[in-house]
Amino acid sequence: MASPAAFRVSRLLAQSHPRLRRPMSSGAHGEEGSARMWKALTYFVALPGVGVSMLNVFLKSHHGEHERPEFIAFPHLRIRTKPFPWRDGNHTLFHNPHVNPLPTGYEDE
Amino acid sequence: MTHQMHAYHMVNPSPWPLTGALSALLMTSGLIMWFHFNSLMLLILGLATNTLTMYQWWRDIIREGTFQGHHTPIVQKGLRYGMILFIISEVFFFAGFFWAFYHSSLAPTPELGGCWPPTGIYPLNPMEVPLLNTSVLLASGVSITWAHHSLLEGNRKQMLQALSITIMLGIYFTLLQMSEYFETSFTISDSVYGSTFFMATGFHGLHVIIGSTFLTICFFRQLKFHFTSNHHFGFEAAAWYWHFVDVVWLFLYVSIYWWGS
Repeated sequence: MASPAAFRVSRLLAQSHPRLRRPMSSGAHGEEGSARMWKALTYFVALPGVGVSMLNVFLKSHHGEHERPEFIAFPHLRIRTKPFPWRDGNHTLFHNPHVNPLPTGYEDE
Repeated sequence: MTHQMHAYHMVNPSPWPLTGALSALLMTSGLIMWFHFNSLMLLILGLATNTLTMYQWWRDIIREGTFQGHHTPIVQKGLRYGMILFIISEVFFFAGFFWAFYHSSLAPTPELGGCWPPTGIYPLNPMEVPLLNTSVLLASGVSITWAHHSLLEGNRKQMLQALSITIMLGIYFTLLQMSEYFETSFTISDSVYGSTFFMATGFHGLHVIIGSTFLTICFFRQLKFHFTSNHHFGFEAAAWYWHFVDVVWLFLYVSIYWWGS
């Protein structure tokens, strides 16, 4: 008497519900359509965010008017305990003569 | 023909670990020759052998994995552990520079004027280019996620599009930072402020360049059909590294650019 019931149960278990079967092999974990969401996020949020930041920099920039700070020979600045291994050893790698004074003062004064 | 009875990868003998170690010796001694004896020869030799080692070692890994099929799931698992552990080691590397920054800035010495930023230091405005840099890297995190999902869904064209946007954003960041480096009124020799600023942001910039290079290699591998929708660990490793670079920038921005101003 248990056997036909058991047979029916095992047949139920053997069938796999078609809607539950997801055609993805191990390793893949994205749901379909999520690339579409990230594409939308990229074009409508991320890149416009960059654009707004660029605009902000442009609007805030005041090129030309450079009231550079007066030169005071503070001992904790322009430290030269050892010469730099390039050029004359007295200029930093990204030296900008307009805004970076040497230990003796601005070069273009 | 003999077959291995396990799924692991017994790598063939390779000369690249030796050439790598030798290149490290040449680079370190080369730096000494440059700093103390004004000679660049050893350093250039070291950089060249280092580049050659990296190129050939990773080329061989691609041959073993993509072309010869040695990267079974368990081998891939080991590679994942390896990349995660490497990134953790990089976290500790940056932790050192953040330690130095906080050590110096939380209790500024009298030599600096007892204040932070030190007397005579005019820091960059965090709401200008540094904020733009933040938006650029955050955007690149979004675009690389788009690239990954496109790859998972088998959309080749979109993956290439998304990855190229990511790489271009990385290059844009690098260019912006380089321009900032020329524009700052302070230099690396300007007290511990300059030291901590340029060491931390400098190494970060180097990691952006490394990450962009890694992503570019993934781009060319995708062009050559190396990746499948469920096996693309090289890309995942590059993406993890890129997110790590982004997170380090966020810490830099909040600590040094924002709080530190």
